[in-house]
Amino acid sequence: MAARSLRAHLLRMLLPPIAALLGLGAVIAYYPTIEPATEAYDQSLVDIGIALGSHIRAADVGFRLELPPAVEQVLRADRYDQIYYRVGDPDGQPIAGDLDLPLPAEVAPGLQYYDSKYKDRKVRAVWMPAQCGMAICSVVVAETTVKRTKMAREILLSNVLPEALIALATVLIVWFGVKRGLAPLARLSEEIKERTPADLHALDAGKAPEETRPLIAALNGLLGELAAANRSQQRFLANAAHQLRTPLAGLQAHTELALSLPMTDACRTQVEQVHQATIRTARLANQLLALARAEPGGHTEPQGRLDLKTMVEAVADEWVHRALQRDLDLGFDLQPAGVRGDGFLLREALANLLHNAIEYSPHGARVTVRTGIRDGRPFLEVDDEGPGIPLVERERVLDRFYRVPGTPGTGSGLGLAIVREIASGHGASIAIGDGTGIRGTRVALTFPHGSRPEMDS
Amino acid sequence: MRLLIVEDDAPLASGLRRMLEAEGYAVDVTGRGEEAVLAASQERFDLVILDIGLPQMDGFEVLRRLRAAEKPMPVLVLTARDAVDDRVRGLDLGADDYMAKPFAMPELTARVRALLRRSQAHGDPRIVHGPLAIDTVARRAFLRGEPLELAAREWAVLEVLLAKVEKIVSKEAIIQAVAGWGDDLSPNAIEVYISRLRSKLEPAGIKIRTVRGFGYMLEEFKES
Repeated sequence: MAARSLRAHLLRMLLPPIAALLGLGAVIAYYPTIEPATEAYDQSLVDIGIALGSHIRAADVGFRLELPPAVEQVLRADRYDQIYYRVGDPDGQPIAGDLDLPLPAEVAPGLQYYDSKYKDRKVRAVWMPAQCGMAICSVVVAETTVKRTKMAREILLSNVLPEALIALATVLIVWFGVKRGLAPLARLSEEIKERTPADLHALDAGKAPEETRPLIAALNGLLGELAAANRSQQRFLANAAHQLRTPLAGLQAHTELALSLPMTDACRTQVEQVHQATIRTARLANQLLALARAEPGGHTEPQGRLDLKTMVEAVADEWVHRALQRDLDLGFDLQPAGVRGDGFLLREALANLLHNAIEYSPHGARVTVRTGIRDGRPFLEVDDEGPGIPLVERERVLDRFYRVPGTPGTGSGLGLAIVREIASGHGASIAIGDGTGIRGTRVALTFPHGSRPEMDS
Repeated sequence: MRLLIVEDDAPLASGLRRMLEAEGYAVDVTGRGEEAVLAASQERFDLVILDIGLPQMDGFEVLRRLRAAEKPMPVLVLTARDAVDDRVRGLDLGADDYMAKPFAMPELTARVRALLRRSQAHGDPRIVHGPLAIDTVARRAFLRGEPLELAAREWAVLEVLLAKVEKIVSKEAIIQAVAGWGDDLSPNAIEVYISRLRSKLEPAGIKIRTVRGFGYMLEEFKES
């Protein structure tokens, strides 16, 4: 469904009635103005008729008009219009002037104004009786309608122009008024856009107009519920972590203890299986908890600044020992690399990368952790000399529970999914490439410029 | 050596106790923070293994009270919560080491050994590392009972490594420790001292491992 524009909607609602009202206003204002003017013009026709009537004389037979050319010229003179006249005898027969000038449709006693056509032009005419001796003659005076049309147009224009301005003003007021009225909403949406998913504090209604307050209140209600849901997820994760890890630690302690006791080989094989399963379960529990924490909303701690170099150095001991157990050469190439991030999650990402590298590298191989700045962007990468990840699998290995077919070992397929989740939470990109040697894998996390977190990217 | 385990999960506590008893330690167990504080005030323990997630008085409070009472014994903290993990790492709570649950027993016993060795060595001028014995006051070293000649800087490097057996010591840390002798030292110079130490100690089975790009680690001595 296409979004409806508030402006278009308002204009659609406002403009037709405004146009109708303005039109009606123009009409209402038109007649009172045009009537006196029309009357004045009509009166001047009557004046001409009276003047003509005074020049009718009785002749030998009937009547005739005795009009000196100078007078006729004066009577016919007009700045805009052509003036016509017709003088009729008491029988109505024309005797002078424009003999074929049309008469009114019905002849009635007294003055009669009427509109007609003469020589293909619209004319305004007046029929009037005129005394001729003892009889009553008739005079018709007509004029073309140039000045009347001109006047009507001027009157209309003088009415319509201000009304058009009013209409234009209405459109502008709606246009800018809506923009101004919605400015607080625009500010609000900017504020929401700039937030990280972890930032769920209530929106400030501030100077927002009253009409938008229910929306802000509803949004704040939703944010509050989200924050509460987050907090409850936090509590759940913390409790789940505790409830899972402690018994698993106990289980692991007892299987190790059992393995140190004298027992039959068959029995030892079984206990060894239980022990390996325990270790796998413990690792899986840790991974699931890390995954839940890495998801948006899974953690609400503010991200602090930390140096990837320092972070790696702090856990180096632990990993060197694990690498030594598998006879691997774990080395480092660490340059300062300041990022903004969650220390726990970044250590978890490193742990998953190192776990994979150590798990899949052959004995005696080199594994290298690097940190530093490349093209202005901080990075963390782990190189190994394992079997490598085929090109076609490099996207899929980032999926949860996906393992490259034929991979030995007992991994859950969660490690790289966790790394990807943590990377995206830090606005970092993840790239899987070839190792430095002839084979192997390099997984690189590259953090954003200036290491500002873009949680929603 | 007497250890106190403060852990409210009974199976884990009993597993820890049996494992550590098998290593030859005397072990006491309590599941309550209050009891731990009381026990530590009345008796002497060489090391405390302290769970943070205790009912009522939690591990942080126990640690605070032990330190307030100026108990000098090392404390190894056990954590099961990520947030606690952060706090233990991020703040100086006075814990000497920490482990996240679940953990491998050999790793725990190795940490316990290292902590005890460090605390026993405290104030004792004699350090013994397998066939190597040094007297830090008299500044004399013996290998298999024979006097061992060490140049001043070799001595300084060895002392740094001996203080952190099984831990990586960065080249920078070694330079800082040795630079007291005056002029600037390059990382290359450190490599020279390490290689001299190796040629003197390796015949006796003492190994200094290179951690590529980082530093060195004196390995725990194993009879071969």
